[in-house]
Amino acid sequence: MNAGMGFKLSHLQSMLLFALLISIAFGFLSRRRPIDRVKYIVWSLFLFLLIGVGIGWAMYPFSR
Amino acid sequence: MADETTAPVAPPQDSRREAMAYVIGVAGWLVPGLGHALMKMWGRAAMCFLTVGMLVILGTGMRGNVFSTSGNDAFDSLGYLADLGTGTFYLLARSLETNGADVSHAGGDYGTRFLATAGVLNLLAALHAYEAARGRKA
Repeated sequence: MNAGMGFKLSHLQSMLLFALLISIAFGFLSRRRPIDRVKYIVWSLFLFLLIGVGIGWAMYPFSR
Repeated sequence: MADETTAPVAPPQDSRREAMAYVIGVAGWLVPGLGHALMKMWGRAAMCFLTVGMLVILGTGMRGNVFSTSGNDAFDSLGYLADLGTGTFYLLARSLETNGADVSHAGGDYGTRFLATAGVLNLLAALHAYEAARGRKA
């Protein structure tokens, strides 16, 4: 990552950051109790990554 | 007997609450988290501000496309609407991206999505604040 010239992130880093930020936002918006929020954030993050990687593999046969 | 064809008049308290809910919704759109802060929902306010801010900073840092009114097609217009969802952070994004967008690399494309997501997420948060101000369970 080069903060001075802009962020240079890999595909995986971008996906991880995106999934983490959106999971946190959804968790805080949709749950009240801290423990519920943590559970929601972890579950949402897991699903984001699972589906992201799953779609990536599903597209692999068409990449060449 | 009461006339059932006329609509019931809303009590003054309800109309005042509705007006306040509009103000909170617009405030939440203009400054991410402000709508929740006005209702003393500090955790949600901080979360909105930080996540939307982070997405905007990352999106511009990755040289994503900050759409303007001079769009060429419907997708540009939709992107502009999504970017506008960040409220005043749209101006921040424009001022941060001094080198212009570079979507010739995957990073720039990701940045465009980050910026659009920031806008849509902020609209969702503003709508959440509006509903909470109206008394709906939030």
